[in-house]
Amino acid sequence: MWQFLSLGLLAELTVNGILFGAMYGVAAVGLSLIFGTMRIIFIAQGTIIILGAYLVYWLFTLGGIDPYLSLLLVVPAAFIAGAGVYQALFRKAAAISDKNTSLLIAVGLMFLVQNTMSYAWTPNPKSIVTGYTALGVEILNMRLSFTRLMSMVIAFAATGAVVVFLRRTLVGKAVRAASENMQAAMLMGIDPHRVNAIAFAIGFALAGAAGVALATTYPFDPYFGFVFALKALIALALGGIGNVVGALVGGLALGLIESYSAFFISGGWADAISYGVFLLVLMFRPEGLFVRSIKKA
Amino acid sequence: MRERITVYLGGVVVLGLAMVPFVPGAPDSYLFYFLFLFFLHTAIAQSWNLVAGFTGQISLGQHAFFGLGAYTTALIWQRQLFGESYGYYFDPLVLILSGLVAGIFALMVGFPLLAKLRGDYFALGTLGFGEIIRVAFVKGGQFTGGPFGIIMPSSVYETLRPHYWVGLALAGGLTYMIHRIRRSHFGLALISVRDDELAASSHGIDILKYKLIAFALGAVFTGIAGSLYGHYLFHVSPDGFLNLNWTLYPILMAVIGGSGTVLGPVVGAFAMTAVFTLASVSYPEIHPIFSGAVIILVMLFMPNGIMRLAKR
Repeated sequence: MWQFLSLGLLAELTVNGILFGAMYGVAAVGLSLIFGTMRIIFIAQGTIIILGAYLVYWLFTLGGIDPYLSLLLVVPAAFIAGAGVYQALFRKAAAISDKNTSLLIAVGLMFLVQNTMSYAWTPNPKSIVTGYTALGVEILNMRLSFTRLMSMVIAFAATGAVVVFLRRTLVGKAVRAASENMQAAMLMGIDPHRVNAIAFAIGFALAGAAGVALATTYPFDPYFGFVFALKALIALALGGIGNVVGALVGGLALGLIESYSAFFISGGWADAISYGVFLLVLMFRPEGLFVRSIKKA
Repeated sequence: MRERITVYLGGVVVLGLAMVPFVPGAPDSYLFYFLFLFFLHTAIAQSWNLVAGFTGQISLGQHAFFGLGAYTTALIWQRQLFGESYGYYFDPLVLILSGLVAGIFALMVGFPLLAKLRGDYFALGTLGFGEIIRVAFVKGGQFTGGPFGIIMPSSVYETLRPHYWVGLALAGGLTYMIHRIRRSHFGLALISVRDDELAASSHGIDILKYKLIAFALGAVFTGIAGSLYGHYLFHVSPDGFLNLNWTLYPILMAVIGGSGTVLGPVVGAFAMTAVFTLASVSYPEIHPIFSGAVIILVMLFMPNGIMRLAKR
């Protein structure tokens, strides 16, 4: 394969890695927010993304609504659904110090949603074909797929919106305070259920945005969600758990790792390599690759 | 006193269950298969319970040990490692070796992971390990049979009886062992590591050693259970054995029954096997939906498990 290697190919591998990694990143940002306040890995995040992708698919197929236009519908709907899921399923469990309960509810939710989707809409992969699916954009002698580029834009915009929300608004600051130290935040009068519900609502809204990004670029099936959640988890560890921008960067890094290892080693090993990197990072840089110093022990 | 009665009662139940295969027609019934599954699930749930419920180290890599056990059996058998005339079917040595291989892997991986990682990070680390093992077996080429796996000669199969007895011995023995461990020096050390690592180590307990022993023991029994299931399917493949379900099921069962208790995983395994079986018999197409709903409901209304509910 080395004889095929050229600067152009290297650039293409890099760009493809970044484009796909942006989607891992957006999923990881959602995981990061929910982990911040709830201290659980919300393993159903990937399945919620797939649910979002199905919603976009049906809005397009049955309603003829443009996938990008459906962002306006899917994201608010997911936001409300997230708050609702927290109130209905996680509110009670969040008060228990044993985190296994919340984790298992998330596992149950994943089982329930992915199998309901598979039952209702068959396990066959679905994909959206629009007038601009085949469209390409010429940048620096490289032909980039328009939809993939749009997916990256959505990922960056969504992460940017979350960062602004966390830094600039009072509610966002409350979420950050709760992630730092829930006890102290509660003493300051922050309602834990409110910040948890907001973290869930934003996590779901991000999943909705990621669903749009996924549905327009790649074929998806109900069971893809779990793999997606695992990948998001790796991205989260690479970027440092509890760090929103780090999660996006971790996603991009994972995309690059997969893209390079699929080319230089072999497609099937790409997964094992990402998990290997994940293990090494957990053991030697648990604070993440992109944090310069550890703020507290 | 009450505890001793429970142990005797348990012994009687196990003896009674051991007699079931002699009932005419029993080995061909669906109930017999159900009990076999129940024993298998109890064994893997108890193994997880030892590591997570008693020692507090949440392992998400149990499917790797289950698969390693099954693959060890399949590889020994396929390659006829002990000669051609050797009876590999339900050979105690093969079963034990399958457990040991899983245990050795657990020691090799557990040492760096347990020394370096705590809590969630350890759980994620074991998940990563499990997935690496899965990919390694899928990509193992000739040696592991790749994505298809290894077929064993199913002509030796006569009845489900040996599976039933080995499963019962494994589940019953493991449960009794955990009962004995719990009050021993070893078991108290495990529990102290779970409750407060700092306090445990300040009292002279070598935390790493105890975590490692518990992790390896859990892997040995999960490996034997994997080998047993391999004896039933006669086809060991990544999809069937290195599937993440083999990590999720024991966790579900142990937690639903009550992790950190002796009988919790048994109760949980029985309840979940019943739920899975009923759902897959009556509504095969919606069985996983139903199972997901049951998990959520149980966690919402009895988050500490069935056993602890009974105690209150």
